[in-house]
Amino acid sequence: MEMSNTNSPNGVAVDTSRREAILEQLKTGVIEYDTDRVVEAANESVELGLDAYEMVMQGLAAGMGVVGEYFDCGDYFVPEVLLCSEALYAGLDILRPHIELDDAKKVKGQVVIGVVQGDVHDIGKNLVKMMFEIAGFTVHDLGYDVPLKDFLEETIRTDSDIVCLSAMMTTTMMGMPKVIEMIKAKNPNVQIMIGGSPVTDELAGKFGADGYAPDATNAVADAIRMVGALREM
Amino acid sequence: MGDANSISGRDLVLRFLNKEAVSRMPAFSGMGHVTVTGLDQCGVRFAHVHGDAREMAATAATSHTLYGFDCVVVPYDLGVEAEALGAKLNTYDQAEDLLYPTLREKTVESAADIHVPEDLENAGRIPVVCEAIRLLKDELGDRAAVGTYLLGPFTLAGQIMDLNRLLKMPLREADEVARILTTLSDVIIAIARIYQRAGADYITIREMGTSADILSPRVFRTQVKPHLIRIFQEIELPAILHICGNTNAIVGDMLDCAAAAISIDQKNNLVETRQKVGPEPLILGNIDPYNVLVLGEPDGVRAAVRQSIENGASAVWPGCDIWPTAPADNMRAYAEAIKENGRNGNEQY
Repeated sequence: MEMSNTNSPNGVAVDTSRREAILEQLKTGVIEYDTDRVVEAANESVELGLDAYEMVMQGLAAGMGVVGEYFDCGDYFVPEVLLCSEALYAGLDILRPHIELDDAKKVKGQVVIGVVQGDVHDIGKNLVKMMFEIAGFTVHDLGYDVPLKDFLEETIRTDSDIVCLSAMMTTTMMGMPKVIEMIKAKNPNVQIMIGGSPVTDELAGKFGADGYAPDATNAVADAIRMVGALREM
Repeated sequence: MGDANSISGRDLVLRFLNKEAVSRMPAFSGMGHVTVTGLDQCGVRFAHVHGDAREMAATAATSHTLYGFDCVVVPYDLGVEAEALGAKLNTYDQAEDLLYPTLREKTVESAADIHVPEDLENAGRIPVVCEAIRLLKDELGDRAAVGTYLLGPFTLAGQIMDLNRLLKMPLREADEVARILTTLSDVIIAIARIYQRAGADYITIREMGTSADILSPRVFRTQVKPHLIRIFQEIELPAILHICGNTNAIVGDMLDCAAAAISIDQKNNLVETRQKVGPEPLILGNIDPYNVLVLGEPDGVRAAVRQSIENGASAVWPGCDIWPTAPADNMRAYAEAIKENGRNGNEQY
């Protein structure tokens, strides 16, 4: 076995194979929704002083990426994904206080997220929220069944860059264009993303949204691009 | 064997569900069928209709009187059973837009928290729905079939419990799921009998929380299906099992539940389904209720009806409730196209 050492932020030398074993434990713990394994690995990484950001991104988030693939190809269903995210959050809660970001990785932006009025299905929204949190965004979660004007008020109050609207039902999706119009009238620079099972790319265009995300990973990738574009303006 | 003109819409629906020969396909559905045109004609607000038997019956009747459907269906929301079990309904009385009611105060954590009222017949809005059924029966009973619906046990559990909790349970607490679904199945069977006594002609059990978009086919098969089998054994009314979403993987299991018919939506590949299950089972579907009936034009509606029949629908049903803003012209075209194109609709049996 190759035995190389890396220096952790607190200067303790940790051998690479140990670090990789912990990352693997975080990743497979999320994939196999084994919360105990994730907690154990997260605690060990903190004790060893490993880079918490790396543990989150290359361990927990990498695991969730695989979970997304399993979901897309029909190996996993909603119950599995919920348990995987439960395991991920258990690790995130331990690691987050130890994340020290340099400027390159600094907080990416602020997001207002919620499920539109009339809709009480928040599982998809919670997954998107989780991915934003992992990616380092500050998330203002309005919950579900959110009166349309609350999206505008929260966006102004928090001076957020991005608003994410979710709807699970065709019938509630119709609130989306109204929210988009309200927010764009106040601040055309706010980027609005929509998602949820009845939403399509075509509808997103029709509604005046800036982005449509078929899943949580794409939502965050799009958001990072959007914020990047905003900062260059 | 009756002529389409000589037998009533009600008889068409009932003979069809009983797999008897009929001269044309009945134009009916087992889910919400009210339109804004119907509501306006009766001077009724959607947010108010759910709690008023007279308004419910008057507006439901417009499916038949305005558009010529062979059915009338009550109620319009998915909260009746949950409300009878203690959940609180939000009708969005103050909202600007038309919204379906939702439930709040979901206090049930486990089977022990489910309190079934002794007098179920008078619990929540069950008496309202019963009264609406009686009124429709009096008014149109000789012409249109009176349909009603209830949620399936897993979907009903989702109305009284936090979904984030319920949806983790099949993998962690299968025994608790079984207890919850047993209790709720008892409730569903009991309410179905109450609706039958009120005069309902047929009933749809809507188990939309269990498609392969949500649960694995294995969980559906092992944890939900046994309860559905019992429900369809014990309900005496002609009963339809409806599951929307991705159902291709579970369509055989749906048929095993031994309902009079199954109903699927536009996400089901009906051609594939027919190939898999053969010509015999009654399969209802699978018009996209929003993109075709609300956003489409009459010609597109007619084409969609023809396509569903060609793909193997025994009778054309919308994949879900008809969203009330569906234009009247589309609704007329929809009913007419079923009657015209479905002349030999179920010749396969």
